[in-house]
Amino acid sequence: MEAGPAGNVRVLVSSAEFGQGTNTVLCQIAAEALGLPYESVAIAQPDTTVVPNSGPTVASRTAMIVGKLVQSAAKGIMKTLTKTGLLGDHYTPEQFRAACQEYIAAHGVLKSYARYEAPGDVYWDDEKYRGEAYAAFAWAIYVAEVTVDLTTYAVTVDDFVALQEVGKVLNPVLAAGQITGGVAQAIGFALYEKVVWQNGHMINNQMTNYIMPTSADLPPIRVFFEELGNLHGAHGAKGIGELPMDGPAPAIVNAVEDATGVRFHSIPLLPEDLFEALGPALLEQDAPFLTRGTA
Amino acid sequence: MNPSPAASAKCEVSFIVNGDAKKLLAYPMERLLDVLRNDLNLTGAKEGCGEGECGSCSVLLDGVLVNSCLVPVAQASGANIDTIEGISAHALMHPLQEAFLECGGAQCGICTPGMILAAVHLLEKNSEPALAEIREGLAGNLCRCTGYMQIFEAVARAARRRVAK
Repeated sequence: MEAGPAGNVRVLVSSAEFGQGTNTVLCQIAAEALGLPYESVAIAQPDTTVVPNSGPTVASRTAMIVGKLVQSAAKGIMKTLTKTGLLGDHYTPEQFRAACQEYIAAHGVLKSYARYEAPGDVYWDDEKYRGEAYAAFAWAIYVAEVTVDLTTYAVTVDDFVALQEVGKVLNPVLAAGQITGGVAQAIGFALYEKVVWQNGHMINNQMTNYIMPTSADLPPIRVFFEELGNLHGAHGAKGIGELPMDGPAPAIVNAVEDATGVRFHSIPLLPEDLFEALGPALLEQDAPFLTRGTA
Repeated sequence: MNPSPAASAKCEVSFIVNGDAKKLLAYPMERLLDVLRNDLNLTGAKEGCGEGECGSCSVLLDGVLVNSCLVPVAQASGANIDTIEGISAHALMHPLQEAFLECGGAQCGICTPGMILAAVHLLEKNSEPALAEIREGLAGNLCRCTGYMQIFEAVARAARRRVAK
């Protein structure tokens, strides 16, 4: 992290923004740690000729791991200024600016580095790739309510609730967007999106034959958060992005089982899969048109 | 061998884009999307699927929401075209753009220009759409990031503000 003479701060990391809100959240973390308004923090382009390599933008690690490094680097800037007597324990943004200006006049630059160190109770073997990759993991509960149409064999998700324990919600709008987006993809994963391979190619590689959910296909996706904190994440945050892709499909398959009494072992559950499993049984009885289930 | 349409001679096409009269030379079967992006440097409309399914190339053609990847430029001759670049009033965001920003209606941004035009089109036809009407109105514009919920919220918020004014 680098501070300028105008009391402005620049976050230097290699995390890439692709819409998930990384730039916003990392600047928020820095502003919060330094007690500065959000507007005085900017973020550099993720080009490793100018920023340190803070690792790839993967594995739900950015807010948690890189965010924690940003928080530590911000503390480093603060410590430099307090140690040299330029800043007291409590300060205004104006005092911070004056301290930065004075420090830079005397020393040329004001920079701070933070490097990841695994917490003492977490062991990871990089050679064998075994151990605990992270100090904390997020938790979630997914509830799906479905209707199975016994004429068309199509499954519709009528309602979906996601309860996410993410340590700490750093930005409510962006956090909810990560969950609704993940759940929507997972509904596609569970019910529509079948990749058909032939001779090493995906043969249904068009949006007319590979079906993803549209705005008309999704249920209300209702998101709730639980915040239990995480000592090792930025301001208590855990990873957030991937979990909502993982849990919803099993919840939907279980809800279909609840509705039909038949256990399914693969996804996507297309109407032809349901027909194959349910068809003969239902033809024998005076079947209802719809059957509902929850899981 | 028949020459492909694109290989035939260029012809003069005139239309109005975001209120400005434009005249240019183009192959008649060139896609409106390519003419907007390459000849007029209006890169807001995005090519997603290129087959009229995803809506990321949406523009308004005489007030009708179209996929500009499916419109031969000759068909746009004399038309009034609105793209995302003409939606904001100079530096001022359109109320829909503002609401998308507040509600988290945009993530990666590929669908956003088309999604906002679809919403503009919807609110012009129906100033107080119910949730089901918002869902229906945006169903031709795919979004992979947001799961749509925050987009619905943004459109409803912009509609409420528009009606309140």
